[in-house]
Amino acid sequence: MKEIILKTEKLCVSYGKVNILNNIDVSFEKNKITAIIGPSGCGKSTFLKSLNRTVEEYGGKISGKITLSETDIMDMPLTRVRNTIGMVFQTPVVFPFSIYKNLTYAPIYYGEKNKSKLDETVVKYLKRAGLYEEVKDNLDMNASRLSGGQQQRLVIARCLTVNPEIILLDEPCSALDIKNTAHIEKMLLELKSEYTIVIVTHNLAQAKRIADTVIYMEGGNLIEEGPADEIFNSPVDLRTKEYIDYMKN
Amino acid sequence: MKMKDSLFKLWVLLSGSIVTAVAAGIFLYLFFKGFAVISPEFILGSPRGIPLGTEGGIFPAIAGSLMFGAIAGILGGALSLCTAVYLVFYCKNKKISSYILHALQCLAGIPSVVVGLFGYSFLIVGMRMPKSLLSASVTLTIMIIPFITIRIKKALEQTSEEQFIGSLSLGIPRGYTIVKLIIPSSFRYIMTSLSLGVVFAMGAAAPVMFTGAVIISGVPSSLSKPFMALPYHLYILVNEGLSVEMAYGTALVLMVIVLLINIICRLMGSFEDI
Repeated sequence: MKEIILKTEKLCVSYGKVNILNNIDVSFEKNKITAIIGPSGCGKSTFLKSLNRTVEEYGGKISGKITLSETDIMDMPLTRVRNTIGMVFQTPVVFPFSIYKNLTYAPIYYGEKNKSKLDETVVKYLKRAGLYEEVKDNLDMNASRLSGGQQQRLVIARCLTVNPEIILLDEPCSALDIKNTAHIEKMLLELKSEYTIVIVTHNLAQAKRIADTVIYMEGGNLIEEGPADEIFNSPVDLRTKEYIDYMKN
Repeated sequence: MKMKDSLFKLWVLLSGSIVTAVAAGIFLYLFFKGFAVISPEFILGSPRGIPLGTEGGIFPAIAGSLMFGAIAGILGGALSLCTAVYLVFYCKNKKISSYILHALQCLAGIPSVVVGLFGYSFLIVGMRMPKSLLSASVTLTIMIIPFITIRIKKALEQTSEEQFIGSLSLGIPRGYTIVKLIIPSSFRYIMTSLSLGVVFAMGAAAPVMFTGAVIISGVPSSLSKPFMALPYHLYILVNEGLSVEMAYGTALVLMVIVLLINIICRLMGSFEDI
């Protein structure tokens, strides 16, 4: 039986008078990777950002319902929403601190003051992000000196430090080379046993490699959703088929 | 096209060189003219002689200037930082934001002598405060607020919006994000803005002349006491024809203090914990 962790009903997002998303109904299954695909400007990133209400920081207005384990996220404290539904952006956004401080920034806010526990947190999440061996001797180094791929893995590790249940990733590999992309994909496949992952990607091959479920969006509407194999091999909607064929060619 | 490009390069190089040469020229001119009177007695002594100020030193004026500079810096820095934070991170209404910016620009355009007159009529006459360190510092704070706020606002805007939202997306509220992430990230620029504001205040003669500075006094023992200030002392020495040599010495000391404040603020900025 499917266990649904996050669900949207008639979700609409607008900026001023402009509607970006129209009545999106979708469910996200626990411990699965869901990839959101679609042409540029179709509202993928806006949809992702609405799931933990980050879109509101950009002036977006949400209507409709988003439920996290049966609770409407609009009724939950924003802090709780965002530490339960973590987010990783397209560009690796490391804070201008040391690697160590990047990873202890959030735990310290959430009340962890014990140095040895903070040290454990740093090691644990660096290992989980597959970065520990590369940086273990340079934890005091400014994080901005890491390579793009390392920075993105650090950002994912930082996101894990608040113990989220869901991780949203907005094209996390778009600025990375093949090797770093492979690193991230391997990590996401390992993480899905503990977390539910929703990823926006333009890379259909990537979606094929890692996603269990795929959502196709166009013009602010959800066109089709289903298991990755079905969406890629036998899409029902003609628009999905045309997009996949176009991207293949 | 290549010729035009070379001419443009030459023009910008010349402009840069002229600005540097003017700054260096002023400093060197004051150094050569004023160095002759610099002595331990000049730095650490009080004005003496007949007329007063033709002999002795300028220590009360140095102390007074540092004190009102520090107070104006603290008051102005705190108000400016909060205003800039409000404008950048909290004010979502563009109309309100433009009103505040417009008010700051108007304030920045008011001549210092008019700010001094306002300080005198509002604080000294209206509120019956004595001509004092506090009255002068408050008046100078009004003068430097737009100067610092606009610079800090620019510094905060340069901090990546993605960093700000990256922190919010961890469930961390705006206040904590601003205090622990944004301000430390912009600390160097904030300190530079503050130092420019403080030295601007320390060089202003007119506002302190109306609100607190006097021709002779000791080091002020409280905020309600009048004080001596370097720019006002310089004005008196020149305007009353007391001693041009002492005036050059005073100007050199003021210039060195300004330089030291800039250097200290830059060093503080470079020690930021990032």
